Amino acid sequence: MAGVSEITSKGKLLPRIGVGAASGHHGELLQGVFEDRNGRLHRGLVTLPLTKLVSKATFTCAPTADLTTHPAGKVKAGLAARQTLSHLGVSEAGFLHIESNIPIGHGYGSSTADVVAAIRAVAAAHAVRLQPSRVSQLAVTAERASDAIAFDGHTVLFAQREGAVLEDFGGSLPPLLLVGFKAMGGRPIDTLDLPPARYDSLEIQQFRVLRALIAYAVRYQDPNCLGRAATASALLSQRHLPKQHLERVIDIAKGAGACGVQVAHSGSLLGIIFDRAGKNLRQRAKSVAASVRRCGFCDVEFHQINDDGATW
Amino acid sequence: MVALDGDYFRALETPRMAALAPNLIAAAFPLMKLMPARYILDRAIADGAFETGMRIVETTSGTFGMALALLSAARGYRLTLVSASSLVDAKYKARLDGLGAQMIITQDRAGNGDQLGRLQRLEHIRREEPNCFWPRQYDNPGNALAYARLAEQLVRTVGEIDCLVGCVGSGGSLCGTGLFLRAVFPQLVVIAVDTHRSVLFGQAAGKRLLRGLGNSILPGNLRHELIDEVHWVGAYPAFSEARRLLREHGIFQGPTSAAAALVGRWTASTRPGARIAVIMPDEGHRYADTVFDDAWLASLPGWPCSPPSEPRELTIVEPGSEADWTWFKWARRSLARSVHDEVGKEGGYH
Repeated sequence: MAGVSEITSKGKLLPRIGVGAASGHHGELLQGVFEDRNGRLHRGLVTLPLTKLVSKATFTCAPTADLTTHPAGKVKAGLAARQTLSHLGVSEAGFLHIESNIPIGHGYGSSTADVVAAIRAVAAAHAVRLQPSRVSQLAVTAERASDAIAFDGHTVLFAQREGAVLEDFGGSLPPLLLVGFKAMGGRPIDTLDLPPARYDSLEIQQFRVLRALIAYAVRYQDPNCLGRAATASALLSQRHLPKQHLERVIDIAKGAGACGVQVAHSGSLLGIIFDRAGKNLRQRAKSVAASVRRCGFCDVEFHQINDDGATW
Repeated sequence: MVALDGDYFRALETPRMAALAPNLIAAAFPLMKLMPARYILDRAIADGAFETGMRIVETTSGTFGMALALLSAARGYRLTLVSASSLVDAKYKARLDGLGAQMIITQDRAGNGDQLGRLQRLEHIRREEPNCFWPRQYDNPGNALAYARLAEQLVRTVGEIDCLVGCVGSGGSLCGTGLFLRAVFPQLVVIAVDTHRSVLFGQAAGKRLLRGLGNSILPGNLRHELIDEVHWVGAYPAFSEARRLLREHGIFQGPTSAAAALVGRWTASTRPGARIAVIMPDEGHRYADTVFDDAWLASLPGWPCSPPSEPRELTIVEPGSEADWTWFKWARRSLARSVHDEVGKEGGYH
């Protein structure tokens, strides 16, 4: 991310260009309702980022009030670019180009990644580095509900409708191996078409414990606590957007000594979470991959999370 | 009700964590009952069951009443507490009076807490003043739900928990905490601490010296099918343990907490690979003139006695003396099944 505005030897002004990128994710480790510091309840989530999935935005300033977005369908990213220009108090717009390898509609957060990348690119073109909290707020104005991807690898409990942090867990997730997959014939879901989940008081109270598990998992880099929180959140999500064969997937995970199962709470993704430091990791990961395929799941992928890119 | 960040009562209902052994964490509360009291009142306000100007009435042997009295004083509620003469000492009554609570005390000559007499008095008040709010700590599901906060605090402190030990009076703290923990730790072993001559796990009601746990009626918040093991701790082992906690750990908690700590320590020593959490509900101040007073202890028949180093396992549920400590593999059965099982055994007490 860099803003470029240089004067050439001939004294001619080059166009100012900014680039920004943002990751996709594999849905959520946790989603529910949570208290803020004043005891008020908010919808919130903890995102599971995937650095392999990236949206890259390039913004080129131009002496025009028009904003041209390419591809033209990236309406929310265009809206986010507009919001960012208005936040920066800039009247001239320009060209926004987005390139992304994130599949749309399964819960990978393609839309938010585009939006966050666009915000970062516009800011960079004006030599501004926005705080993640500001990026999140701008993202929420552009797309109503967002995720915590503006915080990158920093784990937060994020109020997706307000773009606010309910709790900063103070670090990143422990090193994990995620075996991700989706339901056969799983159709893309428009997140915003889903009615907001209603939770009863038992569920609201249970979310406290799940939040505590994530806090412990980040603080002490404990993948088991992370997995337990994810599994419980996946089960609580069944009442709202049920995943077929979730119980079976949980059994498969247990049988392979995995830490737990996570789902995209508004998508079709499921993932089995392994401790990256576990023994016979490759063998166990391959065994669950085979099991979930037999169970009828497709697009099985291995994702390395926070392991510094080491081979496994 | 606005709960600001600098919330005195939120702090007062937050336990201090003490490592009593390498695998044993104790949640030592200043006043645990604030947790359910505050949750029940806040929920009742939110759903309209408790409106401005209504009187709160409750029957309580102590700390739940104290919690209601503190909240009522701070929030301007009117409060009537029904208690029994065997349960309330003059100093405690003076504290409750000072908080503005109206106290009704039934004469309890049998010394068993007079639950039924107290409930009759409460019914009478509710008939005379229908527009009042009864928190019903024994049966209100909010009592158990409130303890998600304790489960949260335990998990933030120690992460995974294998075994939970706690006293049972209303059942709220142990069953609530146990329920929330077991949802994430399915293998969790839940160990209940009761005292002899309490009806909670199938004994007949009778005079009990140890207060703050046990009951002479069955509360709805006690869910027997969550419980793996039951311990009945007599007053004397609990008193000794309260003194030991003070002397060896610098922890000044009441005898109810001590009964739980005693069972927690034994559990930790017999399950060295497990992570144990024990709930200690209140501080020792109320017992300064009794349990923490050598002269008072010396006046007890049979005191001093050396406390048992381990409990005696029962095969049938039967009461012990105040010097006894017994336990029973409850195995998540219902109370009805427990009684039924024992009827089948020749001469079994139930």
